[in-house]
Parts: sequence; structure tokens; C-alpha cells
Amino acid sequence: MRMIPRKEIVNEALSQMMDLENREVSVAMLHDQEIYELELERIFAKAWLLLGHETEIPNVGDYVVRLMGEDQVIVARAADGQVHVSLNVCPHRAMHVCLSDSGNARVHKCIYHGWAFRPDGSFIGAPIEREQMHGNIKTKAQLGLKKARVQLYGGLVFATWNIEGPSLDEWLGDMKFYYDMLFDRTDGGLEVLGPPQRLTIDANWKTAGEQSACDGFHTLTLHGSVIDIGAMGGEHDTAHESAPAMYGINLSGNGHSLRCIPADTSWALAHGKGDLTPEQRLEAFPPPGITPELLPELKRKMSAEQLHVLAKAPPVVGGMFPNANILFIYSPLRDGTLGSALVLHSIMPRGVNQFEWTTYYFAEKGTPEHVKEMMRAAATQGTGTSGIIEQDDSDTWPHMTESARGVIGRTETLKYQAILGENRPADWPDKAKVYEGFGKDDAQWEWWLAYHRLMTAD
Amino acid sequence: MSVTTASVTYTREDQRRAEVPYGSPVHNAVTGFLIREARLLDHRHLTEWATMLAEDLEYKAPVRITRRVQQWDQEFGTMGHFDDDYNSIQTRITRLTTTTNAWSEDPASRVRRFVTNVSVWETDLPDEYEVSSYLFLTRNRAEAKDYKQLSAERNDRLRMTADGFKVARRSIMIDQVVLGMPNFAIFL
Repeated sequence: MRMIPRKEIVNEALSQMMDLENREVSVAMLHDQEIYELELERIFAKAWLLLGHETEIPNVGDYVVRLMGEDQVIVARAADGQVHVSLNVCPHRAMHVCLSDSGNARVHKCIYHGWAFRPDGSFIGAPIEREQMHGNIKTKAQLGLKKARVQLYGGLVFATWNIEGPSLDEWLGDMKFYYDMLFDRTDGGLEVLGPPQRLTIDANWKTAGEQSACDGFHTLTLHGSVIDIGAMGGEHDTAHESAPAMYGINLSGNGHSLRCIPADTSWALAHGKGDLTPEQRLEAFPPPGITPELLPELKRKMSAEQLHVLAKAPPVVGGMFPNANILFIYSPLRDGTLGSALVLHSIMPRGVNQFEWTTYYFAEKGTPEHVKEMMRAAATQGTGTSGIIEQDDSDTWPHMTESARGVIGRTETLKYQAILGENRPADWPDKAKVYEGFGKDDAQWEWWLAYHRLMTAD
Repeated sequence: MSVTTASVTYTREDQRRAEVPYGSPVHNAVTGFLIREARLLDHRHLTEWATMLAEDLEYKAPVRITRRVQQWDQEFGTMGHFDDDYNSIQTRITRLTTTTNAWSEDPASRVRRFVTNVSVWETDLPDEYEVSSYLFLTRNRAEAKDYKQLSAERNDRLRMTADGFKVARRSIMIDQVVLGMPNFAIFL
């Protein structure tokens, strides 16, 4: 009997499970072990993945252990001052070399047989040097920890196993122009407000992955309670039409996405109606995370086109394909002022039916300390583990995944058939795909197309 | 040291003075308070539970980090799963009790809080006590056959008022680094 390669089987299965013409995805995709194994190889071992921020490891020797798919990696600052990402698997007997989440070590010594590695992953040696316990077949240079390719962007640490693949700039493409407005907009840059929250959700990673690509529509229903208590603004009687700014501009490129909320909508929600020009409003009401003191830096660092976007409709939520979720949103602070919550999530698969949800909170370094503390509290109260917004999401994803367990349930499809189509406003930069109007399925479908491209790539 | 670890000590052992003996009236009163509190929460009497909180409440559950034993004292982060005060707790309760679409707890979990190992210390203030208690919590939802579980040590500052004890501070030291439950739509 001829053995059919798994790739052939999966390509055939994928063509059955994704109806590109009608924009439907089989629910079976959320509960298929073969697909999952291929995702680990083709997505999580190929994509640029978000692993944290360099302010978590400011000093030589500082490290954190993170996940790339199901692979543990050590993210460390080496003697050269650079951030290195190395597989946390000893080349000798596959023991985890590093056993704590974070710390500082000039040498990572495997506790099993003592093979030792530098923070840059290079092999120092094995105990009893004269006996050459690594043998004489491989040189020391060949016995370092496996190294991922690393790129820092606005201090965010990205890594990929695709050593010869696209650069991070190419990977982000046109969307980088917009991401700069969040991650790379001040002289000091962002910093983390502490080690991330980590929790387990009993759901397939794609349920959260596709939602991150600008699913604004669910806000009205799933997050209705937050609208009801007035935490999303809006006039009382029209809250569900106006509150979370359903009308805006969605952006998409290479599966990445951002949702831009018109500044006049946010301004009206916060301050009532007003006749400010976009430039005046940018002064009076800087984008989330930018304090008045930081505004001059923002104006210096951003191009005229970028400033135009920030004044008209700054990006506030979205995702980075395949598994990062962004919320840079306005949020009331405990002193009664309107501040911000700057949040990034990563969605890392832990089996076909489970993922780890990691949550980072940020502030611009130039933010006053007492404001940072209030931003951290606001972010914690709104998002992540106990966030009154996101706790409803973590309840939804497991249900979707469970639906896929039923042999009939998995014959249903996820439908992306409410489409705006590209309709870039005349004054909007000609960058990425632009969808203006009531947020629809366009960007989320683009997420699936990016998924499909990677899954079927040779 | 990197910013990922906190030098904050959430246990506030420095504020503990003489330990209040087990079985004494004060110890009994504190234990009774914690048991009543658990009962109110288990039965979703959230508004009544809120009357047990002081208005200067600090309510935190710092994230935990796996550390080498040499850094045993640096295993809690500056970030938390809760980072709340009195007003934000009230907002949570309003959402859970007055809206009809707080889906993370609708249908509600069946939660049971087992509170044990209560230790009480006097403090520099005559009406305030430092209290350490162990919490074991089971949470079952919908038709799940298993339970989401959580164990933690809580370090409280309790204040005696004309109205009885109030929680002025709660630091919840959870034993998991990666939580097994998908959210904290419940109070600990």
C-alpha cells in the first residue's frame, strides 16, 4: 500500500475545509489533530512570533523563558548586549536547560549532565574537560542551543525559526507604517509594567487568533454588559449603536490588522460634541498611551501621513498574524481622568484543544510613575484574567471548540460573508487594505487567507 | 534585577506584631468573618459581600513566577491578575448583578471556597489585624465533569469598625504560575 505523505492529505483536507469562494471555514478546523500538527510546523515554526519586550531583560544575563508554538525558548540578553532566542532543549539529551521563568545567569548549565551554554546559546563545554564528554564527532561550535532568528521592533522581541524567510519588515509589510504609531512613536519607547499574566483556555488557538483580526462586531453582544454599565461610553439610549465606535476604519495586510476609531467619536464620547480641527484635537486629546508631555516627541517621530492618521482615526485594537492581539485603548483611570490601557496578548497553542493566553501591559517610558500604576490597574480591570471586557471572550472560545467535537457540529462553518470591500477614503494613506464603515468581516477573512497561504506553502 | 520581578513583599510580614492565639476571642471573630465572607461569595450575595470591604481597599493578586530557590523571595511580579480598589470592585459587582449579559458568569459557576489555616497578628494600630489564611477553591460550570481548582494564601489587613470587620487590604498569593481557569470572573 502506498503511504500518502501527510502534506498531501492535509492539503486535500484544507481544500475541503476552507471554501475560499464563499469565505467559509469548516468548524472541523478547530478540532483536527493532523491540521494542528501541520500548524505547528508551517505556522508556528515559520511565522515571526511575539515573545515579549526587551525591557523585561535590561541587563546582561537577564532571561525569560517563553513559548514558540509548543517549543520553549530562552530569551536572553548576552554579553554583546543583544537579545538572543535559543531553544530550551539541551543538544545532549533533550533536557530543558533552563528551569525557571526568568532570572539572570551568565551560564545556563543543564542540571542533567552539566553541559553549559552562554546566554547567546553558544556551547561552553561539558564537565571534565579533559575527557571531552561531547565526543569528537561534533565541534563545540556545532553543539550550541538551536538559535532562532531575532528582530526587535519598538523593543518588542520577535523571533522565527524561518532563518531564510522574509525579514520582520517584509513580514509586517505595509502594516508596519501603522504599527509604528503604537510601538515606535516616542524617543524612550515602551516598557512592560511587570511580568505577564499567563492562563490556560480550553479552546483551539484559532478561535482567539481570528477574533484578534478586528472582530468589532462581537463587542455589541458579548461585551454588552460593559456597555450597559457605561464603561464604554455612549448615550444611554443609543449606547449599543454608538458606544464602542462601531464605525471606523479597519486595516489589513499579510493577515495583520488594526482597527482605527475616529478621533471625533472618541472625543465626543469623552467630552461631548466639539468643533475642533483634527490638529487641535490631537493636541487636546492625544492617542491612547500618549500623555501631553510626550506629544512633541510623537510629532517629531511620526511622518505627516502618520500624524494625519493619528489625528483622524488612531489605531486602537487589532492583531499581528498569527497570534498576537493588540489593545491600545482609552480607559478611565482611578483618579477620575481619562487615561489608557496598553495591552498585548499572545495566543500560544498547547494542543489542539488548549492555548496559553499571555498578557503584557505597557506604558511609554516617559510616563509619570503614578500614571503608570494607574494604567496598570486600568488594564488589569479591563483586560486579561479578570478584565471585565475580556473575561467574556475566554468564556466563548471554549464553546466554539466544543462545537467542533460533535460529528455534526464540525460540519458547520465559520462564515465571513459580511463584507465592506476595500474603500479607502481619499485622504487616507495608500497603505495596506482599507475598509471604512461599520466594522465587518474583511480583515478577519484576510487573517484566514494568510493562514491558508502559510499552510499550503511548500 | 530585571523589571519582571517585584521587590514588593505582598505578605507584609513586617507589619505583623504579636501573634493572636488560636482559639482566643479575636482569633475566633476573624475566622468567623472569613467563613461568613466565603459563604456570601459562594452564594453570590455580592452586594452584601461588598459591605465587608473598607473604602480604602487594596485588592491584588500578583502574578507568580517560577524562580530558582535562591530567588525564592522574588517570585511575585508587579503585575497582577487583580489590581483593584473599592470602586473597581463595585464596578465588577454592578456588572455581575445589574446587567443581563455578564456572560463569563452567566450561567454562573458553582464555586466553593474552603478557608483554613487562619493566622492572626496584632499590628501597630489597635483595631487592625494582619491575617493569613489558606484558600482552596473549586469552580464548576455548566455540564463540566471536572473542577477548575485554585489554591492560594491570602494576606489580609482587617480593620475592626462599629460595623464589624472590614477588609482593608487583600493580597492573594496564588500557587499557579499558569492559571488553570480561563478567567477570574469570581472573587478570591
